[in-house]
Amino acid sequence: MLVLGLLIASCTKDKTDYEAERDDSVVEHVDFKEAATIDSNGYSIRIEALNGTFYKGYNPIRLKVTGGGANGNANVSAATFLPIKLSSTGSETSCPHQHHLSYQPEDAYFSGYCVFTEATTNAGVWELQISFAIDGKMITARQAISVQPQTNKNLNMTTFTGSDNEQYIIALIAPQKPTVSENELLAGIYKFNKASEPTDNPLAAAYVPVTGYTLQLDPRMPEPSMGNHSSPNNKDLVQDAAGHYRGVVNYTMTGNWTLNFIMQNNNGQIVKGTVVPDDFTPGVMGVKSELHIDILF
Amino acid sequence: MKKLTFSSLLFIIYMNGSAQHQETDSTKHIEAVTVSGKGKKRMETDMKMSVSVDEFLASSESISFIKRGAYAWEPLLNNMGMERANLTIDGMHVFGACTDKMDPITSYVESNNLAAVDISSGQSGNMHGATVGGSIDLRRRSTSFAERATWSGAYQAGMEFNNKQLYNLGNVSFANQRFVFDGSASFRKAGNYSDGLGNVVNHSQYNKFNSAVGMAYKTGRLSSVRVDAIFDRAKDVGFPALPMDLWLSRALITSAAYKQLFEGGVVKAWDSKIYYNAVEHYMDDTTRPENLVHMDMPGWSTTYGLLSNLQLQRGRYSAELQLNMYENLSIAEMRMYPQDRSNQTMFAYSWPWVTTRYGGLSLNNNWALSDKSQVNLGGSLGLHNNHAKYVEFNWIFHPDAPQERTRVLPSIHASYQLQLKNIHLSAGTGYGQRAPSVSEGYGYYIYNSFDRYDYIGNPNLANEVSYELNGSVGYRKEKFGIDVKANYFHIDQYIIGRILSLGSPMNYQSVGVKGYTSLDYATLFNLSLKGDYHLSHNLHWDGLLTYARGQDERGGNLPFIRPLSYQTALHYSRKNLGIQTSLNGDLAQVHFSPEFGEDRTAAYNIWNISADYRFVFKPCTATIQVGVENIGNEYYSTYADWGNIPRMGRNIFTSLKVAF
Repeated sequence: MLVLGLLIASCTKDKTDYEAERDDSVVEHVDFKEAATIDSNGYSIRIEALNGTFYKGYNPIRLKVTGGGANGNANVSAATFLPIKLSSTGSETSCPHQHHLSYQPEDAYFSGYCVFTEATTNAGVWELQISFAIDGKMITARQAISVQPQTNKNLNMTTFTGSDNEQYIIALIAPQKPTVSENELLAGIYKFNKASEPTDNPLAAAYVPVTGYTLQLDPRMPEPSMGNHSSPNNKDLVQDAAGHYRGVVNYTMTGNWTLNFIMQNNNGQIVKGTVVPDDFTPGVMGVKSELHIDILF
Repeated sequence: MKKLTFSSLLFIIYMNGSAQHQETDSTKHIEAVTVSGKGKKRMETDMKMSVSVDEFLASSESISFIKRGAYAWEPLLNNMGMERANLTIDGMHVFGACTDKMDPITSYVESNNLAAVDISSGQSGNMHGATVGGSIDLRRRSTSFAERATWSGAYQAGMEFNNKQLYNLGNVSFANQRFVFDGSASFRKAGNYSDGLGNVVNHSQYNKFNSAVGMAYKTGRLSSVRVDAIFDRAKDVGFPALPMDLWLSRALITSAAYKQLFEGGVVKAWDSKIYYNAVEHYMDDTTRPENLVHMDMPGWSTTYGLLSNLQLQRGRYSAELQLNMYENLSIAEMRMYPQDRSNQTMFAYSWPWVTTRYGGLSLNNNWALSDKSQVNLGGSLGLHNNHAKYVEFNWIFHPDAPQERTRVLPSIHASYQLQLKNIHLSAGTGYGQRAPSVSEGYGYYIYNSFDRYDYIGNPNLANEVSYELNGSVGYRKEKFGIDVKANYFHIDQYIIGRILSLGSPMNYQSVGVKGYTSLDYATLFNLSLKGDYHLSHNLHWDGLLTYARGQDERGGNLPFIRPLSYQTALHYSRKNLGIQTSLNGDLAQVHFSPEFGEDRTAAYNIWNISADYRFVFKPCTATIQVGVENIGNEYYSTYADWGNIPRMGRNIFTSLKVAF
């Protein structure tokens, strides 16, 4: 009877290994690795990104300078970071980025971010121009890098022109790997700085983070099977102290989701985005806001 | 508890029809009453040949059913659902693995491995754990040790013509001085049934296999060990009221028990048992091509437990003390498939790995004050703990919910019984609490096809607190007996689903989202009137009338409350022949709850007749039976039929039973 018991005690169908399945669908990168190294004037400039790769979209950046008496970066100052995109015609543009990097004394590196608006293609290549001061002299170096397409849709971005005729970029920053739960949603919103006065370096100020905007959020599952399913208790994204836009998104199950946005400027005027219907419409692909980002986990 | 053991005996006898003589009926009553005063004794009574467990339970006045098809009806005790009642098999807790309550544990047993069902109403049912509505304990067949080696057994086969149901049930027992073996196996296979208009009700088929083995060994003059196992498998079970069917459900229910009797002294018996059961339940919608969305809905429920029972007696005082402990893990998944199958599937837990642990001590005391009156006083105190592994699912609706929660569940009850010459009186009261069920506490988008809402559990729900009054009056004179029973429940923090303004449906058939919330209170009143009369030595009449009313704190109707219902039957027996005819029905359901998806259900009236004949050819006894249910071929559905699915029309059934 015991043998019989053991024979039939094993289940017919296996339970879903929920955690493993999430690992399969989204790869989360938490480690900074070397993405590029520039050797210049006896200094070695090491630029680190998550997974050692620059991706289209939002990338947190770390920079370390070694060699030439640069002892643990302590005497390096005023590090700047400038991504430059060269088109096939030779014109130069940039993308949203933190130009003056912040020094993190405890770990002795400079930090910043860069939102690459496109992956490297035949028609356009990216270069990084790094400058820093050491021992009273200014060092500038420039090198081509490779930007890969972002395979994690949770770090997607979108570029659009608002009703104010300004060009905007919204890039998702977090969560990299959402769960079926309440997730803190972090995004950066940047505007093309067309009013910038001619300066020495117009590329550095090509984009500026927008301040005081609101990003209204309505997450929905666009899959026809899900009938325009949404979730409760979401919070619109508003700017936090670090300048990022922070809100809450609840994902009620895994799969494809659309983050439908309506972007309001600091006067409460709608810059972009449309209200999506909240009817439950099984069998019909969900209607998306004209401002939206698709994610998948 | 006593009077209910008594009443369950009554309906066994009722089902048994003419097999028993009326004189033995009344002797049995008295036996049962005196016996249960001291504790419990196994009943060796057999049931009517062709009943399923559901049909068997349905003949009790305190039980009604929610029906989603022809199979696995959900029992309601005192018009309260499974989460308010304790459903146990020999005191063992078994929990279904289906979020839609399509596998009440009554679906994992078969009538030929059960000896009896003990039904205790309200707080008197707290012996096996905390409850509000009462307890239903399914007692397995367990043969006693015998002086001489004896074999006994029975084989039943039959057919029901309406749904082409064929069944074969067999059981065999062996007993000698030191060893007992009980074994049973059964197969049932049924096709779709037809309603009263002759239309086939699609997806109402089922296919069930059940087997049970039990072995006992006498380890000493007064002690024995016993191991038991039930294996049940249902396959291809249709649920016409649901958008999906059952592909497979399996249950393995095992236990090992040790029993020690004592001579002299206060302690009379000590009975301890450890148990393990595993239930798996897999839904299937591939049989419903009309479904827009394909989804998988597997569920698993595993329970380990321990119970230990002491029976004490001294003079006119007797007591029962029981320790109950169990741990259950309930898991249910849903995976929805996109229309373009190359896209990623969508997954969520409808039970996010919810562990329930319970430990409690129950005590029941009985004092026979005199030959005519006795007092029962009992109580229980339990600790109930829930833990959800993936509590982040629940946080979506209840962000502040703790992952783990422990509750204290007290219960107390008292009753007084008085037996005068022809009159029997009883009055009782009770107080008790129950914790929310797994679905009520942690359920996540569980689709309810009755009101077509997705249900969300709330881990922060308070305990339900029940205050109860009950009483009965009976009168019996040689040929005539009448019994009136009533109970009233006032339940604070009554748990029910209410429409949420949050969220949107997940299941495509659904119209909205409901969350389990607590009403301030709800009240439930149940009344039953039962009578019997021996018209002559051969002719016996009995009748039953039940009425119930359930209201929320604003006077609104609670769902699934049975309207006024009646049942009346005539039994004729002469020598080996028995003929029974019965009439039963409900009046129109006027107190329905539109909020819960109920509509007015019309009255119906069903007439049944059956005849049986017994042959004796030693050492065997054979009984054949032929009958017709719903002779008028009435087209009807009851208040508790999901989706107003019509019930079975005229059904001719035949069966043969050979026992030795």
